[in-house]
Amino acid sequence: MSVNEPQKQRRRDTAALVIAAGLAVVAGVMLWDSARLADLGGYSGVGPASVPRVVAYGLLGLSVWTVFAALKGDFPERPEQNVPPVLWIIAGLAAQLLLLHVAGFSIATGILFAFTARAFGKRNLAMTIPLGIVFAFAVWAVFSQLLMLHLPAGPLEHLIFRGA
Amino acid sequence: MGAFDFLMQGLATAAEPMMLLYALIGVTLGTAVGVLPGIGPALTVALLLPVTYRLDPAGSLIMFAGIYYGGMYGGSTTSILLNTPGESASIITALEGNKMARKGRGGPALATAAIGSFVAGLIATLLLAFLAPSIVKVALVFGPREYFALMVLAFVTVSAAFGDSALRGLTSLFLGLALACVGIDQLTGQARMSFGVPELLDGIEVTTMAVAMFAIGEALFIAGQKNQQDDEVTAVKGSVWMSRSDWARSWKPWLRGTFLGFPIGAMPAGGAEIGTFLSYATEKKLSKHPEEFGHGAIEGVAGPEAANNASAAGTLVPLLTLGLPTSATAAIMLAGFQQFGLQPGPLLFATNPTLVWGLIASLLIANAMLLVLNLPLIGLWVKLLTVPKPWLYAGILLFATLGTIGANPSSFELGMLLGFGVLGYVMRLFGYPIAPIVVGLILGPMAEQQLRRALAISQGDWTVLVQSPIAATLLGIAALALIVPLILRARGKGQVLAQLGGDED
Amino acid sequence: MKQFVLASLLAGSVAMPAMADYTIIAPANPGGGWDQTARTMQTVLQEEGISKSVQVQNVPGAGGTIGLAQFASQNKGNPDALIVGGYVMVGAILTNNSPVSLKDVTPIARLTGEYEAIVVPAASPIKDIAGLIESLKADPGAVSWAGGSAGGTDHIAVGLIAKAAGVDPTKINYIAYSGGGEALAAILGNQVTAGISSLGEFDAQIKAGTLRLLAVSSPERIAGADAPTLKEAGLDVELQNWRMVAAAPGLSDEQKAKVTADVEKMVKSENWQKQLADKGWSDTYLSGADFDAQLEKDVTSTGTVLKDIGLVK
Repeated sequence: MSVNEPQKQRRRDTAALVIAAGLAVVAGVMLWDSARLADLGGYSGVGPASVPRVVAYGLLGLSVWTVFAALKGDFPERPEQNVPPVLWIIAGLAAQLLLLHVAGFSIATGILFAFTARAFGKRNLAMTIPLGIVFAFAVWAVFSQLLMLHLPAGPLEHLIFRGA
Repeated sequence: MGAFDFLMQGLATAAEPMMLLYALIGVTLGTAVGVLPGIGPALTVALLLPVTYRLDPAGSLIMFAGIYYGGMYGGSTTSILLNTPGESASIITALEGNKMARKGRGGPALATAAIGSFVAGLIATLLLAFLAPSIVKVALVFGPREYFALMVLAFVTVSAAFGDSALRGLTSLFLGLALACVGIDQLTGQARMSFGVPELLDGIEVTTMAVAMFAIGEALFIAGQKNQQDDEVTAVKGSVWMSRSDWARSWKPWLRGTFLGFPIGAMPAGGAEIGTFLSYATEKKLSKHPEEFGHGAIEGVAGPEAANNASAAGTLVPLLTLGLPTSATAAIMLAGFQQFGLQPGPLLFATNPTLVWGLIASLLIANAMLLVLNLPLIGLWVKLLTVPKPWLYAGILLFATLGTIGANPSSFELGMLLGFGVLGYVMRLFGYPIAPIVVGLILGPMAEQQLRRALAISQGDWTVLVQSPIAATLLGIAALALIVPLILRARGKGQVLAQLGGDED
Repeated sequence: MKQFVLASLLAGSVAMPAMADYTIIAPANPGGGWDQTARTMQTVLQEEGISKSVQVQNVPGAGGTIGLAQFASQNKGNPDALIVGGYVMVGAILTNNSPVSLKDVTPIARLTGEYEAIVVPAASPIKDIAGLIESLKADPGAVSWAGGSAGGTDHIAVGLIAKAAGVDPTKINYIAYSGGGEALAAILGNQVTAGISSLGEFDAQIKAGTLRLLAVSSPERIAGADAPTLKEAGLDVELQNWRMVAAAPGLSDEQKAKVTADVEKMVKSENWQKQLADKGWSDTYLSGADFDAQLEKDVTSTGTVLKDIGLVK
């Protein structure tokens, strides 16, 4: 770990520098937020703003440390990434979030299911979406009807359980 | 010996076939709901309590005990197999347990968790039965300063989960501490870091964060890997059952976990997580195979799981002896007891011995029933890992979101799940450990509140923090745990412990 | 018996229609007072056949204001949606600057209530309420009070007591705990000078002699509680920690009357009275214009005392 190849030492790690900047931004936001808190330390002398301040200074210190580590190339090699599958899963979660209260649990979650399967190589959405919806509906039926968990219902759930 | 007679009488009632069936139903229902990531024992018991209302008191009590233990245990199964902790007390289990499952040792991991839970549950329930009144006296000595010292000790133990870089471990921890500041400050009611967003007022839900970081971050990371076979999950390699060496390496952690978890669970502000952290750090220090930690060490599953279950029984100590509900689960149990006309409090053991001992007997039976249900299921559970990856991960995300939606069906909560999932992915990408950020989120507010309470009571005098012998001792142990590795490293002996050294730069 | 269980589980799965007649929001975590109120309502409404199926949903956080905001925005004009709330919400709306207040929902009725009790550990040198007030006057910082969350009923009560005793309410040394259990542990462990919470929280300890009851915040003495009211002790303080049920905003008068009738039927049932007795809650049912007036009064007085303590600007 300590013995780096010379070329690596020269190469600056841009991504790590971005992380350092991100940490500094979080610290800045915390300091800004704690500055507007009323000082209600009362008898303890440690008010609501004190701990956020300490944490913010800690983050600033870590940000500086990260800069040094980035310049020295101390960060481990990153595994090469295949971006599209990652985006498919994120899209699936986003779709579920947006559809949940409109289309109900089964349809929204069925789409998440299909998109995740897509990310791992099952490309036929025409097959996986219905499959996902059926599976999600079965799960919905068990947990909301039998075990009384409160899960959002949509047109599909209304149709089957009202019609029956 | 009155206590013993009462216990035998209770056991005799609880061992009737009908009662055993109720216990089985309770354990099954509790496991089924508790297994959902994001749904902890509190919500499980709250959801299923009405089911028990239909039975007579004895049957109701035993089914209730089954649900409680089932809900506690359910979380560890998903932690181990799918790296999705169901609640904060099983986060540590995921660390080593999931690594074991990936190497094809899911069977032994589940077995050591199940047997460890049983052993811990058995010992802790007996301790509860015979020592509760004296334990609670000790627990009440713990005031804010003693809790603060305990939290400091727990913080030191986080470094055991730092991995190979102090910088990245500390960064992860501090991000957790920063997130912990979000929400209303308990002591003054001031809104911190919530930027006028009402959903942030209550802070960041630990279970949402844990599910996002572990389950979703992991799914994204695996999906993004170019070299898929690198991370091939092996379903079963070798026996599903524990080998002789697994037993040899498990029994001491079970016992140590029990004796760490039980007293901390019995403390009114202890919390089940703290015991699991301390147990993990202890096992890592004492293990003959410290190099295996982080890669699937069985001790790291056995100890924390035992601690988790022992603290569940520990929670009942203040509840039964003082009527103090010290956790959300305990508060619901209190509500459950009241339907039997059982008013927990200092006089309970004297005024209502039949019901108390009936409850304790029920807990013992439910605990055994859990083992009976789960050991044969292990073979089935590990088969889950042979499910092809697309369906496995699609299912993981389905259940991970189901848990979050079931606990709180708001779009905001799902948005946080997505956001933290992406953060977990990025952190994995850059080699940041995941556990410290979650631990920081859990411990941060506890430590802060206890410190400020201690100082308010002393009117700003910091020296009170070391004036009580218990607090001073705990802080001393914490200091030693930090300094000794530093000295060892200075002498060049502490390669393995090197990561501890950078802790307090 | 076996058949009964299986049958009831099966019956639950088949006979239960998908849609609940009522959905009750408990704006708190499982286990708290509001959650228990909601779940008790669920039991009674179902068992009395007032509603075929009732679901309880927890939306915890920020003294109930998160649940309240979500409830008000998602259920406009929905006559099947109910929310449980209480006095703590009144304070929380003010301290959190909540954009949604009780004006944005349709309060139906006050259901139960508990009075505050002031206690000291049995080993404390303080013998009565006069002794406590004396110490408070001598050095307010030296008297630490353990109670529930900041700005909640307990905190407000301490502020009122200080004010009535002529002590600057901003000088009180109030130690907020997240739950009654934790505060009680601190009092029993002699960590603080005094404790304040609902009488029910302390009842068992008082009877066992580990806590000494100094005073209660009711208008008259409470049967079974051996202590004077604050009024008798010369402090003009009266406070009830009540719980209520409210319906969605934008209901027609007819819909409101229907909900009120259902709630009244529930409250009048023997089952409800038995549940209250089991839990040690007292029935403080109040509805209609009387409740609205009481609510108005509480909102105003709470605003004043929170300003006095310094929690609300």
